Amino acid sequence: MSGTTFTYGKINDDMLRMLERPHPSYFLLLLGFLTALGLGVLSLAVQVNVGIGYSGINHPIAWGVYITNFVFWIGIGHAGTLISAVFYLTRAPWRTAIYRAAEAMTVFAVMTAGLFPLLHTGRPWLAYWLIPYPNQRMLWVNFKSPLAWDVFAVSTYMTVSILFFMIGLIPDIAILRDEAIRKGQKLRAMIFTPLSLFWRGTNYQWMHYMRAYLIYAAIATPLVFSVHSIVSWDFAMSSIPGWHTTIFAPYFVAGAIFSGLAMVMTVLIPVRVVFGLEDYITDHVVQSVCRVIIFTSIIVGYAYATEFFIGWYSGSPFEKAIFYFRPFGLMEEWTLTGEQSIGFPQIAFFLMVFCNVIAPIPLWRWKIRNNLVAVWIICGLINVGMWFERFNIVGSSLQREFLPAAWGSYWPTVVEFGITVGSFGFFFTLFSLFVKALPPMAIMELKEAAHPPMKKEAHG
Amino acid sequence: MNKGLSRRNLLKYMGLGGATVVAASCEQKPEKLIPLLVAPDEFAYTPHTSYNYMTVCQECPGECGMMITSREGRAQKAEGNPNHPLNKGALCALGQSSLQTLYNPDRIASPHDKSQKKLSWADAEKTLADQLKAAKGQVVYLGQPVTGNTDRFIDQWLQAVGGGKRIRFQALTQASQKKANDIAFGRADIPLYEMDKAKYLLNFSTDFMETWGNVVENTRKFTDMHTYQNQHKNKFVHVGPHVSLTGAKADQWVKIKPGTEGIMALAIAHEVQKSTGAYSFLNGYLAAYTPKKVAKQIGTTAEAIQHIAKDFMSQSPSLAIGGGNMTATEHSTETLVAINILNAVAGNIGKTVNFITQHQTPAYSHQDISQLIKDLNAEKIKLLIIDNVNPVYALPKTAGLAEALKKTFVVSLSSTKDETTHEANLVLPTLTAYESWGDSAPRAGIRSIIQPVMVPVNTFDAKAKENILLAVNKLLNTGQFDDAGTYLDYLKSAWRRIQLEIGDTSSFEQFWIKTLENGGVFTNTSSVSVSLSSDVTNYTPKVPKLKGDGLALLPSTSILMRDGSGANKPWLQETPDPMTQIVWGSWLEINPKTAKSMGIKDRSIVKVSSPHGTIEATAYYHFGVHEDAVALPFGQGHTNSGLAADGFGINVTDLLPAKVDKHSGELAWLSVNAKLTTSSRKSYATNLDGNARQLGRDIAAATTIDALLHGEDHGGAHHQRRREVYPDRKETAGYYEPYRWGMTIDIDRCNGCSACVVACYAENNIPVVGKERAGVGREMSWIRIERYIEGMGDSAETRFAPMTCQQCANAGCETVCPVYATYHNPEGLNIQAYNRCVGTRYCSNNCAYKVRRFNWFNYEFPAPLNQQLNSTITTREVGVMEKCTFCVQRIKEAQMAARKMGRDVQDGEITPACQQTCPTEAITFGNLMDTKSKVAQIAKRDKEEMKHRDRQYEILPELNFKPAITYLKKVNLQEKKADLHHEKSAGHAKKAHS
Repeated sequence: MSGTTFTYGKINDDMLRMLERPHPSYFLLLLGFLTALGLGVLSLAVQVNVGIGYSGINHPIAWGVYITNFVFWIGIGHAGTLISAVFYLTRAPWRTAIYRAAEAMTVFAVMTAGLFPLLHTGRPWLAYWLIPYPNQRMLWVNFKSPLAWDVFAVSTYMTVSILFFMIGLIPDIAILRDEAIRKGQKLRAMIFTPLSLFWRGTNYQWMHYMRAYLIYAAIATPLVFSVHSIVSWDFAMSSIPGWHTTIFAPYFVAGAIFSGLAMVMTVLIPVRVVFGLEDYITDHVVQSVCRVIIFTSIIVGYAYATEFFIGWYSGSPFEKAIFYFRPFGLMEEWTLTGEQSIGFPQIAFFLMVFCNVIAPIPLWRWKIRNNLVAVWIICGLINVGMWFERFNIVGSSLQREFLPAAWGSYWPTVVEFGITVGSFGFFFTLFSLFVKALPPMAIMELKEAAHPPMKKEAHG
Repeated sequence: MNKGLSRRNLLKYMGLGGATVVAASCEQKPEKLIPLLVAPDEFAYTPHTSYNYMTVCQECPGECGMMITSREGRAQKAEGNPNHPLNKGALCALGQSSLQTLYNPDRIASPHDKSQKKLSWADAEKTLADQLKAAKGQVVYLGQPVTGNTDRFIDQWLQAVGGGKRIRFQALTQASQKKANDIAFGRADIPLYEMDKAKYLLNFSTDFMETWGNVVENTRKFTDMHTYQNQHKNKFVHVGPHVSLTGAKADQWVKIKPGTEGIMALAIAHEVQKSTGAYSFLNGYLAAYTPKKVAKQIGTTAEAIQHIAKDFMSQSPSLAIGGGNMTATEHSTETLVAINILNAVAGNIGKTVNFITQHQTPAYSHQDISQLIKDLNAEKIKLLIIDNVNPVYALPKTAGLAEALKKTFVVSLSSTKDETTHEANLVLPTLTAYESWGDSAPRAGIRSIIQPVMVPVNTFDAKAKENILLAVNKLLNTGQFDDAGTYLDYLKSAWRRIQLEIGDTSSFEQFWIKTLENGGVFTNTSSVSVSLSSDVTNYTPKVPKLKGDGLALLPSTSILMRDGSGANKPWLQETPDPMTQIVWGSWLEINPKTAKSMGIKDRSIVKVSSPHGTIEATAYYHFGVHEDAVALPFGQGHTNSGLAADGFGINVTDLLPAKVDKHSGELAWLSVNAKLTTSSRKSYATNLDGNARQLGRDIAAATTIDALLHGEDHGGAHHQRRREVYPDRKETAGYYEPYRWGMTIDIDRCNGCSACVVACYAENNIPVVGKERAGVGREMSWIRIERYIEGMGDSAETRFAPMTCQQCANAGCETVCPVYATYHNPEGLNIQAYNRCVGTRYCSNNCAYKVRRFNWFNYEFPAPLNQQLNSTITTREVGVMEKCTFCVQRIKEAQMAARKMGRDVQDGEITPACQQTCPTEAITFGNLMDTKSKVAQIAKRDKEEMKHRDRQYEILPELNFKPAITYLKKVNLQEKKADLHHEKSAGHAKKAHS
């Protein structure tokens, strides 16, 4: 944050300016997101009413786009926690400008993700049975099931993320409160006063606040690694070729951070442009995020290669078959007809490799990293690629399992498309509301990073 | 606080308010359900108790004995009558589906006229009586070739009401067979083909395990002969242009040109006769059929013929059989005479071909109906009564029956609507055989009784056929049948005569009850010795001249659709055809070699045109069809047979002429060529299999007889884990004491007939989902026949492996269910608690055998099909997983019965529905912990026993799921060279893509 002189006043003004009455185009954008959300709600209503058979999921492909979406959104969330907790502990200064937005993204992404395990079940109205609650029939959940682990992992993650987010907000909300009182906005003041927990900014409060923040950061840090590991075990703990592999936990975590950071860039670059925040979300921040993206892209690429190598090295015909199937489809000799079939899984595979391994390569160049448009496009591609990576894992393995007579194929239906679009609508609606309702950057941390107002200057 | 509420008042108000709310919510008094502890006398049944009634299956002319289980007054399950000598407790898929004849939603609801106007029974019967009076004997009664007393009754009735002609009709007949036997041996009937006594079976294109003769009996006898036992296996050679399900069990397929079976038989007979010298009058006749002379004509080699002849002679007694649609050319009688000659010269007559003293049955053939059409067109017939047959569908359109029917008054007696009732002027709904009285006598020594297994299904206003006829007789005041108020009286008096005939001395009431309990009277028969007549030399089989150009059109038959009369049954439609795995439709089998040369892709739509018509069919690549032929199965393509039948598939008779064999009058099915035109349109066929290749994964494993004899096969023993980290369930307290339910499936016996699949549908309330949903993987069957094709070309081998829940000890499904909806019960079953299931479907994903089925929707059982539902188990709602439970309801029933007697369940007391119906006895179920049980002895699962395994194997043992089903390998007589191994194919693939 060099170059421009930051005073507390300037930071305050810049940040509060973002929360002013929005431009009409904002409402247009919001309307778009709400329409998408509405489409999702409609699709879901149809599916719950008629039955899960309205989706393209079938026998043997019992998980499809919904679980893909679940893993995708959980992954998106990871970048927020990484930036706010891990980079806080490792004292990476460039996180200051983006961590609040990233953290909000985490909360919204986990909320979005959490919907999918519920709505993909056959009887969503009974999904609460997955929670171990005392009941007179003494029914308990199966702690051996990775899905039960999921319930704990995701709900813990959601709780901690929300708390961490809310704690970080306390001093900033106090600023909003003060502003509202100053301007005489009673409703705002009424909302912000309890949310600020009557923050007064005393030394004593700051001391406890910083301690609490550190503790929460420490609690959230392991979650960055555990949650997606557990999500990966939904697959790795099964016996299905293509799923049953020990590489999944690190592979998923790296993928999650990869996709999450890409999403952070996808969202924040427009924010920077629209609100003119070049002084805050500086090129240095973009550069730093891109470096982590490159790093995780390499890990993900390596994981892809390892999967194929182990598929061959294992000697298991089932593993070999699935890793042949993913890129190439049916082997000629497998069919009676000698015809090759390329379908959705193969397209998904090539999209995955292209978007996640090849598309990030230009980021190695400093110039490209400094080009916002290029970064934004590449990050968009990574988002697409990571969705297809999850689809590739969820969808293709189930199509080619042990018994060839039970092989199947899968095409998502309109309902699945609608619900997927709806999930993006849900996420972006929440994010758009957030940007206008709460400070999308940590005012107090920005101030912390700025030069404190010197007595000399004040008097000089 | 001084004003307002005091604490005390607040509590008072809260108490009052709470009490009001509670009182208000108590308003609706729960209705009390009072259980019926002791059934009052007026109830003829006790709830939840199964009652079994013996009757006869009417789904095909085989007339197997059947036992219907009825609960709460509804027939719920059809099983074979274990006492019946024909089927011995087994049933085929058609028999299993008989309850869908009974409860078919497309049964005719009330008498109606051509405009579908509802009539009262009195009016309808009066119309028939008036028509009979007016017709003055110019009447034709067209019905099935029924046996037993019904046959006599119809004759007597026809006489009484003024006379008329009776015509018997069947789509698939054995008329040529009877004629050929008449010519060769002077007996116009079907002998017993004792396949079980043969050491070598030579089959000339006959689909004897699908549509020819009594399929269940044939299958059982064939399996007795062909299965691996006592370290021996007899050879079965299939000769013909087409490999059907029957041919798929053959050890060798000898591919010959269409219609040359007779010449082939004589060529073999020539070789045999040359060395045996039997029937010297044949010398000159057979001289024209030396293998060298005819080999080219047949399309095989002289060596192949000589080789078969050598085996046929040396493996005595051998048996050659022929018949069915592939030999039904315009020379079908000659063909079958030739096969009779072959049996005779090899000395099989009296050994494997046994003629018995038969009831005299009148001859009938398609010639009769051709004559009928002529008479109709000449307006010689005033009234045509059609009784439960569907010639409008089954006869080629070129015969012109539908048009001819317009020239007379047609009265149809039928239980379900079909193409023929659609043409009728008056339709009288009859009860199905399962609601009425009758009897049958399929052959000498077998007299079975047909009794109503429940009161008539209440949604249909139908009457028993015989009672309709009796009522009409009364209206006409003929003075006949005065002693018979109903057909039951007539039947009883007939059975009084039978009692006398067999010399039973008990009172008639005792005899009658005994007969009903037994399902009939079964007596021994004496065989008749016959010898070959020298007339046979007047019959020379010829290569049939097929009309038109293109490829020979083989109108084959399929096991599930048979003659198309079962097409309106959803179970049969949804069960995949075992050979092609296609559901709800038909297909055109074409040799891949031919197809590729013509540019026809697998599953593409092909226009098929013969000189008599054009239809569109889905091409299906099938190695087992001659390069110069295509096969199109009969039985689909209905237009007026109800919801489940109409619009699915195509009718092959649209392409055929109404030509008949001149000796026997049987329809010449194989008489045209078909020209194929490719199209790029997508196929409408839906198949349920994923891949036809098993890629060396040994799911349907095979071994060779040599490997077994030299102890080279260890039954996958080397796949078993040596070390275990966790203790076996057996060692865990509470498990497997005293039962662990297990199963063995012998795929050497299994012929893929799919009776088990339909039985499972019937027993377990499995919904039918329809073509569209089946096509996207929503089928619900708990057991499926996995069909795998090994090798390429003529030597391609078809294997079947029935696949159902393996009830694994370390099941993949159990650990992943987050709510314990599926768990391992102490008896070794993977229990599925439907009520607890949330529907995450993880269990299905993690099931390596893919045998779990999910309720994607709330499925309906359209009334009155819902009356068939098994009341001992539930139906499942949307969002719930379900699967095979080894028929847990049967296990529990047997356990409760055993507990009442204070003992454990004994071996053989429990038979799951699949095992019960299996005609090949491929499935054995029982307690694996009981070392003396049959299942344990077959499975050899103990560590010690494991060393003595030969054919036993578990599917996917490397996963360590520890399945409770042990399979027994198929035994091949020689190593199939073309075995496709995964390693090899992976290598090829690499090459193809580098």
